[in-house]
Amino acid sequence: MASSFWKLYNTNITGNISSSLCGSIRNGHHLRGKPPGIAKSLEQKLSEKNYLNPAIYFKVDIGLPPPRLSRSKVLDERLKYLKEQRKNPMLEKLAGTKQLIVNMEDVDKEWITTAGPLQIKGIAEHYGVFEHLFGDAYFYPRVPVNISFDTGDGEIPVYFGNVIKPKQASRKPKVSYDSDSNDLWTLILTNPDGHFTENEREYVHWFVANIPGNNIDKGETIVEYLQPFPPKGTGYHRHIFILYKQEKKLDFSFFKREGQCLTLSERTFHTYDFYKNLQEDITPAGLAFFQADWDSSLKKFYHDTLDMKEPVFEYDFLPPYIKKQKWFPKKEPFNLYMDKYRDPKQINKEFLMRKMKNVHPFKAPPPPLPFPNAVFFDGYVPSWLKLEMKKSRLKWGRINDIE
Amino acid sequence: MFVPKLTSQKTTKNLSSYFLEKMLNFRYNTNKLINELRLHRSASTVTPKNEVSPIFTNRNPRNLERMRIAYKPDGYHVEAPGRNYWHKLLLHSSGRYVTASVHHFEGGEILRTSTSDWALKKQLYKTNDTAAYINLGRVFAQRCLQSGLIEMSCYIDAPNPNGKVALFLKAVEDGGVCLKEPTQFKPIRPWDLERPEKPWEVTE
Repeated sequence: MASSFWKLYNTNITGNISSSLCGSIRNGHHLRGKPPGIAKSLEQKLSEKNYLNPAIYFKVDIGLPPPRLSRSKVLDERLKYLKEQRKNPMLEKLAGTKQLIVNMEDVDKEWITTAGPLQIKGIAEHYGVFEHLFGDAYFYPRVPVNISFDTGDGEIPVYFGNVIKPKQASRKPKVSYDSDSNDLWTLILTNPDGHFTENEREYVHWFVANIPGNNIDKGETIVEYLQPFPPKGTGYHRHIFILYKQEKKLDFSFFKREGQCLTLSERTFHTYDFYKNLQEDITPAGLAFFQADWDSSLKKFYHDTLDMKEPVFEYDFLPPYIKKQKWFPKKEPFNLYMDKYRDPKQINKEFLMRKMKNVHPFKAPPPPLPFPNAVFFDGYVPSWLKLEMKKSRLKWGRINDIE
Repeated sequence: MFVPKLTSQKTTKNLSSYFLEKMLNFRYNTNKLINELRLHRSASTVTPKNEVSPIFTNRNPRNLERMRIAYKPDGYHVEAPGRNYWHKLLLHSSGRYVTASVHHFEGGEILRTSTSDWALKKQLYKTNDTAAYINLGRVFAQRCLQSGLIEMSCYIDAPNPNGKVALFLKAVEDGGVCLKEPTQFKPIRPWDLERPEKPWEVTE
């Protein structure tokens, strides 16, 4: 009876008034949008949003072709090998007692020629190596390159993303790879993350061209080796070695830099343009990269070698989201609410003034109290101010900005 | 949402007035102030040899994750844990082989080691016994270290403390991979209770 009366009443008044009257009525739980089985999930929505048309966004393989091996032959060999292996009683015993330990060096040697190129390409993609060096091109590193830095107390190899400190990479590394003595190679070390003025460019740290076979020392040094120098606060920079196979002897006089080349603008490099101009004559064949971040040895390097002030950076976080100020904010502590919309400089100034009131120019500051909040408040102090004072005494919150 | 920018100074038209304003700032942001002093000084001397632009961008997609400030999904509070990671370790065993892989929360599978790989299979007696799990863990840990993945989340529960999975996890940890990721570092706001140390400012 009551509901029908309500309907009757509701239809009689205009929409404008009814909405204000109906504001207090709760209609219980109801679904917004489509029900779960039918509505798209977040994952579906994101994948639709990030969909790239493969007819437009595709990548090109610019590397060496894979080695031609007869699949059946390889399979036969492997099966034969495994059959022999299963007959080995020693191996069975070791496996049974959980003491079988594979030889890591042999595993690595086999891996680098079988699954290695595919895996290294995947990791390089994860580190954005191809994207930032070659744009829409990629390659499988068919020629394994062994690169290691010789520090005083041992060798540190470069794999595909391991961290090497600038101090450890201060001298030029040893490079070795398998090659015919007639082949010509180019080795370039670049850093796509560290350019000081143009962030789309790279710095070339080392450039050796026309290397006969695997003898790096006989190659033509186009740009001398320069150690990594990631500035403080900028994090980890990728340093990428790429080994190109040359079709013929090439003239790199355009890229030639005399001497140590310590003017960094002269070391500006763009692998994309470099490769684009020479793509008929060179093919990327090997890849190795490491990450380097700031260490304390760089201060000296900046001052003495590069002859410049050491740059220091700080990550620039997005400013916090603060909602629009209301005339009558409900359930908000008024002082904290107002502080969000005030000039932070003014707030800091007030804190500083309050602090300076008790600072004597000649006397030493009094020792900190063991129980700072066990001090009486003089006279009447409103509760919100008491709380603020207590927080300041405990060095909580905004007081930290001026201490 | 984050800006992949590393700022040292803000370029302004009127440097001196901006500078004065900043001085009134009462160490509001000390680091920035120090950089501005530096800029001011370098501007007054002879032109520097190597110019440094005020905004520096590091393009390395893994940099912010390693610095602990990249976005990291939190997951959903009614769901079983398993989404809160940058890199995650997964272990999958089929009838014959075992596969360990690293997943990235955006990039999917990035590294995969299996006992079906010829390099590993060649030296094993069986491809899914305990010895295979242990050796898979050792090889996998080495690959991770070689590719710079020293920390990853792990949501694998070993059913038996001396079983295959537990021994695999132990081999991975012994190999030098930490199976726990640090939490995401959230920016410090003026109203925050404390001012925790920034992870990238800690040098050993």
